[in-house]
Amino acid sequence: MTMSEFYFGYALFLLLTVAISLIRVLRGPTSGDRMLSAQLFGTSGVGILLLLGRGMEMPALWDVALVFALLAAVAAVAFVQRVWKSGEQKEAKSDAS
Amino acid sequence: MPLNEWIGLLFILAAAPFFLAGSVGLLRFPDLYCRLHALTKADNIGLGLLILGLMIQSLSLADFLKLLLIWLLVLLAGSTAAHLVARSALRQGRKPWERR
Amino acid sequence: MRRGKREISIFSGKGLYGALVRLVAFSLLWAVLTQGGGGWIIGVPAVVLATFLSLGLHAPISWRWRPMGVLRFIPYFLWQSLRGGIDVSRRALHPKLPIDPAVVHHTLLLPPGPSQVFFANTINLLPGTLSADLHEGHLTIHMLDAGLEYVMELKRVEERVADLFGVELKRR
Repeated sequence: MTMSEFYFGYALFLLLTVAISLIRVLRGPTSGDRMLSAQLFGTSGVGILLLLGRGMEMPALWDVALVFALLAAVAAVAFVQRVWKSGEQKEAKSDAS
Repeated sequence: MPLNEWIGLLFILAAAPFFLAGSVGLLRFPDLYCRLHALTKADNIGLGLLILGLMIQSLSLADFLKLLLIWLLVLLAGSTAAHLVARSALRQGRKPWERR
Repeated sequence: MRRGKREISIFSGKGLYGALVRLVAFSLLWAVLTQGGGGWIIGVPAVVLATFLSLGLHAPISWRWRPMGVLRFIPYFLWQSLRGGIDVSRRALHPKLPIDPAVVHHTLLLPPGPSQVFFANTINLLPGTLSADLHEGHLTIHMLDAGLEYVMELKRVEERVADLFGVELKRR
């Protein structure tokens, strides 16, 4: 196994952990829970991009990772501010589980 | 392969269980609050170890600073998001799960 | 976190200092992003714009870390957050899922301001604690395991944060 294959395989493993967490999107139960998977995708996505950048020797991918990290922060705050606070009063009532 | 690349590789490998645990915790933990614990702590340490490994492999100050910036951003984002999500949930009156 | 609305002109002494700090910070950020590779034709306008924009969005606040405090805080934080990651990973992967969550309340000894917010953010990464609400010095914390010795632990973190910011803890 060459080193770039190793980094590739590792990135694939991280992608798999993201895929597992997507089950949480299906199950919910609240949109807050679903948001967690998106949040996890942010962190693991940064990891995947760093590994690919290393394995393929493409430093530009590290810049993409940086943008990912920034977007993850903005997305989370925007979600809480806009989506969850305004839209979920009804969800909170109907969802007793 | 130089020694520092091997040492870096060890740190990169050490990150794997944390990423796995983050996802498993997200599935297995009983409520939003517990899942937030798994997400913030496990994944940030996973990424931290990965980034530390890459730093050791690269040994360049420019790479070091950029990787550090990425980690700090993710840390700040993860921690702030966890607080905000937990606060909204609490203020919406969602009761934390308790073992009885 | 509510800040008093105060206009600070960049031509006053304090405002100029704040603006300079940000100018330097954004320049360093640009240098890191380009990995020292230059591109200052785009960088200089971007840095100047970012400085004005950030001053418009957020007036300078007194936020100072003590260099020695930073040096003491970093290893402590790294070690504790590693412990936090290991702890939660162990619980998540354990077949019996050993958790016993509870909500606890903690009255902060830190003075109001940035140090309180920093503390709330810090404990999210430490073993078993998640700050869920911060209101007038009272912190609501979600504990992953109610059995953990958290009171002493939180006090110790507060001492570290106070050391970092160079502030005094209130006496109870």
